Amino acid sequence: MDAFIRLENVTMLYGNNGTSAVALREVSFSVGAGEYVAITGESGAGKSTLLAILGGLQVPSSGAVLMKGVDLSSLPADGLADFRRETIGFIFQAYHLLPYLTARENVMVPMSPLRTSAREKAGRADTLLASVGLSGKEERLPSELSGGECQRVAIARALVHDPPVLLADEPTGNLDSSTGEQILDLFSGLHKSGKTVLMVTHNRANLFRATRSIRLQDGKVAEDDPLMAPRQAL
Amino acid sequence: MNIRKLAWKNLFRRKSRAVFTGLGIFLGIGTFVALASLTAQMEQAVQDKLDRFGANILITPRTEQLSLGFGDISLGGTQVAHSRLTAADEKAIHGIEMKERLRSVVPFFLTAADASGKNLVWMGVPATEIAAARPWWKISGSPIREKGEVLLGSEAAVALEKGPGGTVVSGGRAFRVAGVLHPTGEKEDGMVIAALGDVRSVAGNPGGVTFFEVAALCKDCPVEDIVAQIGGALPGARVSAIRQVVESRKAAVDQFRRLGIGVSAIVLAIGGLMVFVTVMGSVQERTREIGVLRAVGFRRKAILSLLFWETGWISLLSSASGALAGLAAALLVAPHFGVEQASVATSPALLGVAIGMGLGLLGTIPPARRAAALSPTEAIRSL
Repeated sequence: MDAFIRLENVTMLYGNNGTSAVALREVSFSVGAGEYVAITGESGAGKSTLLAILGGLQVPSSGAVLMKGVDLSSLPADGLADFRRETIGFIFQAYHLLPYLTARENVMVPMSPLRTSAREKAGRADTLLASVGLSGKEERLPSELSGGECQRVAIARALVHDPPVLLADEPTGNLDSSTGEQILDLFSGLHKSGKTVLMVTHNRANLFRATRSIRLQDGKVAEDDPLMAPRQAL
Repeated sequence: MNIRKLAWKNLFRRKSRAVFTGLGIFLGIGTFVALASLTAQMEQAVQDKLDRFGANILITPRTEQLSLGFGDISLGGTQVAHSRLTAADEKAIHGIEMKERLRSVVPFFLTAADASGKNLVWMGVPATEIAAARPWWKISGSPIREKGEVLLGSEAAVALEKGPGGTVVSGGRAFRVAGVLHPTGEKEDGMVIAALGDVRSVAGNPGGVTFFEVAALCKDCPVEDIVAQIGGALPGARVSAIRQVVESRKAAVDQFRRLGIGVSAIVLAIGGLMVFVTVMGSVQERTREIGVLRAVGFRRKAILSLLFWETGWISLLSSASGALAGLAAALLVAPHFGVEQASVATSPALLGVAIGMGLGLLGTIPPARRAAALSPTEAIRSL
């Protein structure tokens, strides 16, 4: 499988004035298009930092991140924003929905800067909300939705530009197991539809759904197992 | 959903914050507009009052100094008038191009004549114009109300040993002393002041005019232009601006204007600071969501646009309402500051709205730029 995402000796240091902490140490791996990768590791292992770097939210201290052949470090801030919009969908543990917007409007937010008509944007949002099982709840505010429903809205928002890559940071971390399963079903469906999924997770069940597991330890890749080894990975 | 709607919705979500931010602009602009409007009206009122306070242009017959002598012997000199002024000249004065700037044209007639056995200078002036021509006069008794009455200067009253209610006789005609002037330190102190027609009849010179005093409205003080136009209308007359009067009025009004500008500038600076701080705080709070917007693909320009729309809405609404409140306040308090006819001054209001918008948007630049430059990860972590 050709490398869709490639990390080359990525190191990330935090802090300055001599008191730096290493979040990632010379991390290198590749991800092929259509893979479903679970990134695991203990707290502080560098999982979230890795996800932020993969999504172009953060620039590594050294090393390179290539996605679809594009070196993200070569892109300016706005170039990265465009790249994120076109290529990556983010899903956060805390959903990060805008509380004053309805479900439909939250899904429409990434389309705000575009000159598309309001009707077209709303139509796209409604289609996506229907695809995540939220038909009839388009007008509800996040405060009127359950945690699982909020996460579904966040997934619909991540899919609004039909990105080939989904990056999810503990997407079931705030949900009960039953709701979490439903969300993971959604991810499995998206993976089957051809999306490349990279998910930071502590959820053991999710490891069985992924096609590959990468375990981080002290900022390094401790295990990279395409055949899945959930017990060791956890 | 677009950037404008997103900004508008956020304002409604944070109503109290939006109101607080807007309050800074409202108070700053309201105070500025109230002060600017009030000072503009007060400046006009001061101007009007100064214009009412006596004349600023004097019209006398053109004269020439003739030296009298024989050989090396000098016998002094005398002034020879080339022409005399007449009552008809008043019409010519009122016919100049800038006639609307002439508040009053008052003819005076002077003559030396008998007054109860003493030779005194009589000054004739239209009885109805005395109060306007000499507003600073203080009179014991009453002013001249009709023909046959005179006012006595303080020294003339002493010389004639007359007071209010007394009688002065001239040419076989009796004049009732209506009042006596308080000492002025001027030549009037030794004069008998009477209605213009009375003095002309005492002198046997109907239609005679010694000089005209003109009170020109001094807004922007185009006195030199008025002087030139009157000079053109009366070629035989010497027309001169009473420079001291003109300059002192200009100085008084300029001083008042400077005071108004100074106070407005201070209020505006304080208002601007309030706007800056509140907008800064508002945007600072807003940065929490910016990480999410950046993560979903908002460019820096879109973030800046969002924040500017937010403060733009607040600035427009609050500065417009502040300007209206300021105008209303100025109208309400104007009568207490000597403004007789309070009016709506639109220029300060429009300027206030423009300044409010400018301050709001200016105050947004530093925090918005910082917010736009914020790393998405950093912003998301703060959530």
